[in-house]
Amino acid sequence: MMSIADLASSSQTPQRATAAPIEEDTLGTVASTGKRRARGTPRRVGKSTGSRIIEEHAGSLGTGLLGVGAMFVCVTFALFSLARFVTLWSEYPAPLAAAGAWLLFAGLLVAAGVVIRHNDDRLPDWMFFVFLGGLAGVIALDLIAVWSLGDVAATASAAVAAGVGLVAVVGVRAARELWTAAAAVGTILLAADLLDGDIDTDRLVPTVSMLGQAVLPALLGALIVRSFRRLVTLELDRVLVQSTVSAPRYAVGMLASEELARLDLAAEQLLEGVASGATTLPLEPKLAQRAASLATELRLHLIEGRRETWLHHAITESDLLGRRVTLSDPGTLAGLLDPRQRDGLFSAIWLLAGEAGTKVAKQGRPTLQLTLGPIAVDRDLGPLHKVIVPITIETTGVARGRVDPATWDAVRRVGKHVDSMRGGSLCIEIECLADNPADS
Amino acid sequence: MERIVKERDRLLRRSARLLGLTGTFAALLCFAVPGSIEFASLTVLIPSFALLIAALYRVGVNGSLVWAGVAVAAGASIVLLVHLATIGALAAFTGVGASPTGLTSAAETGVRFISSWALASIAVILVTSLGRMLLLAAAFAVTAATTIAATATAPEGLLTLCAVIAGWALACALGTLLAVGVVRAARRISNIGRAHRAERQASETEAQRRQGARLLHDTVLATLTLLAHQGVGVSADALVQQAGDDARLLRQLRLGTAPLPAAASEYNLKTPVEESTLGNTLEAVKQRFGRMGLSVSWHGTGQVLLPADILDAFLGSLAECLENVRRHAGVEEAHVTITDDDTTIRAMVTDNGVGFDQSSIAEGRLGFKESVVARLKEIGGNVRVFSAPGSGTTVVLEVPK
Repeated sequence: MMSIADLASSSQTPQRATAAPIEEDTLGTVASTGKRRARGTPRRVGKSTGSRIIEEHAGSLGTGLLGVGAMFVCVTFALFSLARFVTLWSEYPAPLAAAGAWLLFAGLLVAAGVVIRHNDDRLPDWMFFVFLGGLAGVIALDLIAVWSLGDVAATASAAVAAGVGLVAVVGVRAARELWTAAAAVGTILLAADLLDGDIDTDRLVPTVSMLGQAVLPALLGALIVRSFRRLVTLELDRVLVQSTVSAPRYAVGMLASEELARLDLAAEQLLEGVASGATTLPLEPKLAQRAASLATELRLHLIEGRRETWLHHAITESDLLGRRVTLSDPGTLAGLLDPRQRDGLFSAIWLLAGEAGTKVAKQGRPTLQLTLGPIAVDRDLGPLHKVIVPITIETTGVARGRVDPATWDAVRRVGKHVDSMRGGSLCIEIECLADNPADS
Repeated sequence: MERIVKERDRLLRRSARLLGLTGTFAALLCFAVPGSIEFASLTVLIPSFALLIAALYRVGVNGSLVWAGVAVAAGASIVLLVHLATIGALAAFTGVGASPTGLTSAAETGVRFISSWALASIAVILVTSLGRMLLLAAAFAVTAATTIAATATAPEGLLTLCAVIAGWALACALGTLLAVGVVRAARRISNIGRAHRAERQASETEAQRRQGARLLHDTVLATLTLLAHQGVGVSADALVQQAGDDARLLRQLRLGTAPLPAAASEYNLKTPVEESTLGNTLEAVKQRFGRMGLSVSWHGTGQVLLPADILDAFLGSLAECLENVRRHAGVEEAHVTITDDDTTIRAMVTDNGVGFDQSSIAEGRLGFKESVVARLKEIGGNVRVFSAPGSGTTVVLEVPK
């Protein structure tokens, strides 16, 4: 029976001998793609993890409730237009068209409400377009009904309600789509008002009032729901990432772990293909290239060892932190911090990163520079089995006055700190007392 | 929770500011249109508008109730000033007498935007506590009273009053829904977070298991590299064989039934069938059952090399027997004795459980027949069962080497 070492060497020898001349070339080209992936992938994957979770819980993350509220807003606004329709009934040249418009509108609202409710707070694209088409029909019918009166602004009723109808789907569609739709409704109504007869400055206020009623609810509703969604997304990001705090000193991390599973699966499928004969040997150049890149990526994951600290994982996995924080922790000292200190450091970074100027962040420049170490060894003040980990948080574009007071509580949990202003921005130096890894 | 409440309040006051400022500018537009109110009267309104805009802006910054009060006062003063200008009470300042036609329709629209929209937006931040709701009632009373005073005699006075009531109702609903929605979402998110923490731990364990499977991955890497180089120097058959073995091991790793990685495989393109050692894989089976509450004691040799397909069948049958013990025998301990000679390897699974009457179920049990008997027959092995009610069960599995 052979020992493990024998097996390893016997298996390596023939491969080296035959493959050496090509290997350099392949590794050279492949290694570069591997590195590019390594840097590029985590953020993309992280984002998709967050949005996948949001997608899964769409209904329960509060938007469902907002949808009900949006329907209420919609109906209330529509009642005013309906009142106008009732009072003007006798004056309509084509009352049936207006009545048809209202029936269509009511049908659309009910349908939208039922579909959204039964579809787990989602509205598929094609249904959204059908809904928009229906609203366009409502506007057309109503304009036909009042056209010969020559005063669209004062007499249109269902057409105004159609604009409000967009509010009904505010919880299930993106803000941008609703703004576009609201702008289209506004443009149609304005054009109709301008074309319906002579233009008179005295009739400007009814126009403003009509446009305000038709366009503003959808516009503002979409804005408010968007801020709500942002709040929820940010909170979700924070909660998901905060789970890194309880990780061991070194961890592989969710992203690397998923990546490793993915690579293993890809390798399995490729080998399976070869074994079953579905893939013919020798491999086509494209597949051979794929095998080479898989090998390189697996090697990067396994042999170089992808062990990082919780802090590194928190920053790479988070949408917010990933964009705004750069970490320098060559000694992987973050792993030494105890749970309380980690929690404090994480909260402090989160609050500061949230505060850091969004203008700077949009340019893609990180706004928080986090440095850990080197370990201070020449202090004899602390207990023997403790080491001091110096942590420096340098910010860009954060004024001291704008920092959330909770930040200081969080920093205090990490350790003694000194703060100063450098170049108009806050800089915090923390002395963190941690267990000496040599003793444990 | 404290942080999310802070976030909620920020969302509420920003929404209030957004709505309030929009309504204010719409109202300003209505008053500024020629023929709405006299220019001199408009100038009287300007300071109130400035104050209203400033107050709404401050409400958005820090949600201060004082500024909310200022906003309501400023808005009410606009409505009242419009009314006074219409009835000519401001003639001393503006030189504009009472309007003979009363409140113009345009000015009434302006008033409507102020009281049912701009001021109602304040309600969004006043729904979060009982104390605030009292302030809300007061603010609504002030707004409604001034609006009634100003528009009671106007042609669409009733509509304006309805609009005010609806506007405030909507603002209250919006504030409540946002507040409840945020808290609900936060609670939900904290549940997701808990689940995620468990998932993270599992994925960490999983990743370490995969990373620990060094030897397995060594052979996979070598095979992949060979494939990348078009298998130079190795026969295609051997390569196909090796690829199949590697794929099988990766699958086992993925499904979690893997033999412990350190023993996963040897890399040997010369021999036709790859062999695996038994010892560590048995240890893995033992650990698996240990986790499920059945402690398994091993006796005898563990250092046996078996061809891959035989090892699979052998371990699968053994695990199935242990699973039967775990489920039916009513004991928490089982013994497995492994012996081998030149041609055969033999495992004896023994328990002191309830046993069963062989004549009653013996071969009729499809599960046992399919999973153990058939599996072993396929590779030329066989199985024997000894049992009687009350005296435990012994299963002997035999496979050729």
